[in-house]
Amino acid sequence: MASNPMQQFEVYKIGPEIKIAGIDLSFTNASLFMIISASIIHLFLFLGSKEKKIIPGKLQLISEMFYTFVAKMISDTAGSKAKPYFPFIFSLFMFVLFCNMVGMLPYSFTVTSHIIVTLIMALFIFIAVTIIGFIKHGFKYLSIFVPSGVPAVLLPLITVIEIISYLSRPVSLSVRLFANMMAGHTMLKVFGGFVVSLGILGGWLPLSFSVALTGLEILVAFLQAYVFAILTCIYLNDALNLHH
Amino acid sequence: MKSLLSLLIAFTAINIDLYAAEAGMPQLDPKYWASQAFWLILVFIILYISISKFYLPKIKDNLDNRENKIKEDLENASKFKEQSEAKFKEYEVILKNARKEISKIHFDSKTILDKDIRTKKEEMEKEIEKEILKAQKQIIDQKKNSIISIQNISKEIASNIIENISGDKLNESSIKATVEEVTKKNIGKHL
Repeated sequence: MASNPMQQFEVYKIGPEIKIAGIDLSFTNASLFMIISASIIHLFLFLGSKEKKIIPGKLQLISEMFYTFVAKMISDTAGSKAKPYFPFIFSLFMFVLFCNMVGMLPYSFTVTSHIIVTLIMALFIFIAVTIIGFIKHGFKYLSIFVPSGVPAVLLPLITVIEIISYLSRPVSLSVRLFANMMAGHTMLKVFGGFVVSLGILGGWLPLSFSVALTGLEILVAFLQAYVFAILTCIYLNDALNLHH
Repeated sequence: MKSLLSLLIAFTAINIDLYAAEAGMPQLDPKYWASQAFWLILVFIILYISISKFYLPKIKDNLDNRENKIKEDLENASKFKEQSEAKFKEYEVILKNARKEISKIHFDSKTILDKDIRTKKEEMEKEIEKEILKAQKQIIDQKKNSIISIQNISKEIASNIIENISGDKLNESSIKATVEEVTKKNIGKHL
């Protein structure tokens, strides 16, 4: 049972069944790890912003580094107009990052390895960005589908491609994160299974792979959170600063 | 090594196939989708509110404070630098004036001293001259005196010699006259 690499992604109910209007909203292990990740973020930011020292302590320095990192990311990609959305992107980045990192702990559950979780976040971003675009620019926002400087012959084709690429944004955004997390964790589990099945003689090779992969997965966990946040910024930039 | 690696990869492929067939992907099971969505939205909204209302303003405040402090400190530092530069210029002016004063005092004292030395020198020279004159006068006087006493001595010696040789006592006045004559004749040799 433990050697099934997909078993780690199974969602199961914790505690009583909660049903509201016939929909099952039970507290699950996924919910538990969402709360754990959020609690770690709370604790980290609380300790990081508790003391207001001129020369920061370790936690304060790290929290300020996160702050400046996300702030720089937003100002670099979306400019100063995106300032009001900074708390959202900061929360998003922190949430995805900590969910990924908590998922790296053995026997934990990776919240972001579920398509439904990433899809909801991506859909929310997609819809919000579209609404912001229409609020800021009205129907002129539709000109995002018509790039400037394209020959008239190619224009219908390009417009169709642009519309498809725009509509596929939530899919690519959510699948990227979900697939990366799932693939990495599956691979770790498979190699872990080999360590056991090949025993003391042959187990060393997959064990070394496992160690290397763990390092890689930590990198991927950070990178995917970064990519998720920066793509959000780029979509936001398209909506705020209509360049076409 | 290579064969072992290919074996491993083959194993992986078979295993994943088997497990996928057996269990499938739990992610695609819609049983708990609603639950996950609900809890995600709930947790994220709470996280978002607390981050945007509580943590970020605090961190931002602190960063701003530090930036202001650094700016203030830098401003203070440049102000102090300017002040010290001004003080240094002042100091240089004072030093320059002092040097001027020193050279002036040096020059003044030199001239005064020179003058003093010169007057003293002149006075001394005058005194020396006076002394010399006095000494010369004394010498001359003494010479004159000595002539008179020599005359007297020679008068006496002459009368004694004459008395001893001839046994006669000559007239004193005649001896005196003779001696005076001889002296007058030969005095030029000695004076």
